[in-house]
Amino acid sequence: MSIMSYNGGAAIAMKGKNCVAIASDLRFGIQAQTVGMDFEKVFPMSDRLYLGLTGLATDVQTVVQKLAFQLKLYELRENRPISPKTFLSVVSNVLYEKRFGPYFIEPVIAGLDPKTSEPFIASCDLIGCPMEPEDFVVTGTCAVQMYGMCEALWQPDMEPDQLFECVSQALLNSVDRDAGSGWGAVVHIVEADKVTTRRLKARMD
Amino acid sequence: MAGGAADCSFWERVLAKHCRVYELRNKERISVAAASKLLANMVYGYKGMGLSMGTMICGWDKRGPGLYYVDSDGQRLDGNMFAVGSGATYAYGVLDAGYSYDLPIERALALGQQAIYHATHRDAYSGGNVNLYHMKETGWEHIGWTDVLKLHYQYKNEKK
Amino acid sequence: MEFLIGFEGKDFVFLASDTSAARSIVMFKQDQDKMTPLGKNTMMAMCGEAGDVAQFSEYIQKNLQLYKIRNGYELSTKGMMNFTRKQLAEALRKNPYHVHTLMAGCDSTDGCSLYYLDYLSSSVKVPFAAHGYGAYFVLSLLDRWHKPDLTKDEAMILLKKCMAELKKRFIVTLPAMMVRIVDKNGIHTMPPLLEKDYVTMDTVQDGEPDRSIVRPLIL
Repeated sequence: MSIMSYNGGAAIAMKGKNCVAIASDLRFGIQAQTVGMDFEKVFPMSDRLYLGLTGLATDVQTVVQKLAFQLKLYELRENRPISPKTFLSVVSNVLYEKRFGPYFIEPVIAGLDPKTSEPFIASCDLIGCPMEPEDFVVTGTCAVQMYGMCEALWQPDMEPDQLFECVSQALLNSVDRDAGSGWGAVVHIVEADKVTTRRLKARMD
Repeated sequence: MAGGAADCSFWERVLAKHCRVYELRNKERISVAAASKLLANMVYGYKGMGLSMGTMICGWDKRGPGLYYVDSDGQRLDGNMFAVGSGATYAYGVLDAGYSYDLPIERALALGQQAIYHATHRDAYSGGNVNLYHMKETGWEHIGWTDVLKLHYQYKNEKK
Repeated sequence: MEFLIGFEGKDFVFLASDTSAARSIVMFKQDQDKMTPLGKNTMMAMCGEAGDVAQFSEYIQKNLQLYKIRNGYELSTKGMMNFTRKQLAEALRKNPYHVHTLMAGCDSTDGCSLYYLDYLSSSVKVPFAAHGYGAYFVLSLLDRWHKPDLTKDEAMILLKKCMAELKKRFIVTLPAMMVRIVDKNGIHTMPPLLEKDYVTMDTVQDGEPDRSIVRPLIL
């Protein structure tokens, strides 16, 4: 029994043309027992910035509150919205602070730069090693499935609706091959002028 | 059958072979009691070696309909209603609420289907399709193979 | 082998807990109250490690009482949940409390809500929940029978149905359940549900099962 898969869950973020997508499943479980089916793992951190967290649910909640607090301090101090790249540094440092007794979570970040609207995605491991790939980031109990789906489906310069289809198919088909995640999904498509949030119809077993 | 997939499929095949051999030797089909005991005795020989199976054996013989529970501990029980596997507790919840011995066939089939659906919903390790059989005096009849996705959204749209 | 159960209904939340206080092979009490009031319209039910439950629940209750004295008003249910979660989460990496909680409350902002909190301090807002081994038996019943507009009478029948199932299938006996309902008017203590009253909804009337509860077969 691994701590990282005690509660189950999955999150994914993808880059498109002038847009990003971030999505998660909705399961909260305790090992085999599904307790809740409305547990979102993607959190809006500011206007065009989203954070996805999977792993131990208690740490998901602790870390998201901690980061929301840090973010407010930053915005108050600097009097401007944070850039996704800087936010990645905050996340990385908050996680590395607990190097020898870590939070059992793995974050993904997706957003648009507040000034340039440049798409940004990134992820970390549980002790804060950052990664900024060009295409997609995945985390959760079905990360391997999502890597497979993304490698097959992702292509550069997708339009928002294409990106939505791609990220939804990648997530849904991955969680269906994993016992620990699924039970509904939520997808956010972030564009410069709007954010679209949709709940997906999913298998409930 | 539930538990170790390989254990289940292998011992189911071995049991089928034994039943067929019995039929050839005795010119008569094996009883449910004997078939289930055959399986119980076989797996009992491997007790403590890591077999993992929970099975239900049902059929129709001279004594009428028969239902037995056999597991890899070697435990063998007869009864009117069983559920096995990781989702069994959830299935029992629904079964007990709707079960009675004289349930009409149509309702019994529906109850079984719903019990399995509710187990797949709450238990992470159960899911996919509900495979439904009706065991009659004349033999089994395959009733249905229903995706639980369909069941979930059909039940959801229903008024409670 | 403790058991807590709760569900939301129409303008109320229903909580029930078992009444045993046992250690090792000895049963100390058969009338233990596992619920604690946290405010006028909020309460929690807690079970788990013997000393931890008493210490932690009293700590939470007294601090929320202090909050009310200092500020002149109570925290919302969500606020109380958040406070409890944070205390439990901070303790988790120092000297963990091994406690499982259900919190129920009604307030003007969020209406009536039920929260599930496990010993790791993961909190989830749910329409219904159960703690302990009993959950493995009753969650499917709640999936089948719970509806958001449940009345108080229907809630009681649902509890009876769940207890009947536990009596039938769970190897541990739960001889009585303490029942409380919280609504906008406060916390109401109901008469305890006794083992003799654990009956399925459909056999309440004439001892004959109501077969209409089985939905038609879908192929």
